[in-house]
Amino acid sequence: MQAILISDKEYQTEAYKRLNQLVTIFLTEKGMKLTETQLDRNDLAFCKGCFGCWIKKPGECVISDAMAQINHGFINSQLAIYLCPVIFGQFSSNIKNALDRCIPNILPFFETRPDGSTMHPARYRSYPKQIIIGYGDDLSEEDRNLFIDITKKHRRNVEVLIYQGNDAEISQALSQMELKKAGDEL
Amino acid sequence: MNQDAKQVVLIKSSPKMTEESTSGLLTDKLENLMKTERLEIYRINVRKSLIQGKTEADFEAMLKADALVFVFPLYVFCLPGMLMRFLQDYYAFGLNRPDRKKTRVYAVVNCGFTEAGINQEAVRVIKSFSQKTNYDFRFGIMIGGGGLLLGAQEAPFMKKTMTELGNSLKQIVYDIKNCPDDRVENISITMNFPRRLYHFMGNRGWFSMAKKNGLQKKDLYRKPYERYTD
Ligand SMILES: Cc1cc2nc3c(=O)[nH]c(=O)nc-3n(C[C@H](O)[C@H](O)[C@H](O)COP(=O)(O)O)c2cc1C
Repeated sequence: MQAILISDKEYQTEAYKRLNQLVTIFLTEKGMKLTETQLDRNDLAFCKGCFGCWIKKPGECVISDAMAQINHGFINSQLAIYLCPVIFGQFSSNIKNALDRCIPNILPFFETRPDGSTMHPARYRSYPKQIIIGYGDDLSEEDRNLFIDITKKHRRNVEVLIYQGNDAEISQALSQMELKKAGDEL
Repeated sequence: MNQDAKQVVLIKSSPKMTEESTSGLLTDKLENLMKTERLEIYRINVRKSLIQGKTEADFEAMLKADALVFVFPLYVFCLPGMLMRFLQDYYAFGLNRPDRKKTRVYAVVNCGFTEAGINQEAVRVIKSFSQKTNYDFRFGIMIGGGGLLLGAQEAPFMKKTMTELGNSLKQIVYDIKNCPDDRVENISITMNFPRRLYHFMGNRGWFSMAKKNGLQKKDLYRKPYERYTD
């Protein structure tokens, strides 16, 4: 079973190191083959909002850099884990560039979901299970809630955890999750 | 230069390169309104600032400003990575500066989906940034169906929306000029246009743009990274 781990090289704090070790050991024990990508500030170009990934080269970003490899790995993994610094209640820039540039993996069309909200349809039949683990020292309750809302209010099939130094809490949460491909619900 | 004039920094943060952007259009509208009110304006194009390495001058202007207005699109339900880079760098730059003011901060966010309310988390991020920098976050304007502004702002069916939008932008100008202390709620702007028709036209638009690039309808559904072929 293949898993990708994406992290931010700019914020390799003590908390990050512990979290990374914890997650790596956990997944290895589960028999996962882990590919880690640590993103630094100049590794990924910013998305340029051109929609070329939908109307020029469907399914692929028109910028050629490390993102093609990441998206290829993402689609062919059972699990994608993001270790993400929480900055102003959001993903850090390096992680967010990788998330912005995931849109090649979905279709351009507009769809209304059963709950009335809008979403794009899936391009692939299934996606890896996605787990976002936010970390940061002394995060306020407001920022923690915001970090969860950004994903949980809008996206399905993506889990969000926040690491505040409690290893057991993360291990337990992970052990309760099904670590295999999710369907095509976005 | 008018010594008493309030200094405003308009921060256009669409990641688009040369293409026209909704954020650009909204920034122009704000700039025009502010000029007639004699506010002093410093305008930043975040992409240019970062790519051309001129953030330092822009950060200095921001540190001196009475008000900052961030104008940006929603990317995956929050701020684009490009704007996060700018904010993180600004935060690091200004951290130990003694000349900090209680700057007023506003957000103008537009998104592609019709629901204006989905911009709320992005506005909350700008509020969180303001708290960390000790600034005074005032309110946000959340715009759904932002693409229609570029294509159809002159159309008769847009008249009501354009008036509402104009009034909400004027409220930012008023707030900067008069510095009221009362709390102001975020403002939602929804296009006066049926959602189903918006989706229908949007979907047709993708096909016709792809066609112009020499693609066929079925090409839009390519799965370049799928390994198995059943
Ligand atoms: C990478 C990317 C992610 C996007 N994510 C969203 C989204 O989550 N919700 C939404 O309604 N629109 C989304 N959009 C659409 C933009 O918000 C919309 O096209 C907007 O009008 C662009 O504004 P601009 O012209 O100022 O750049 C996204 C666009 C891109 C390129």
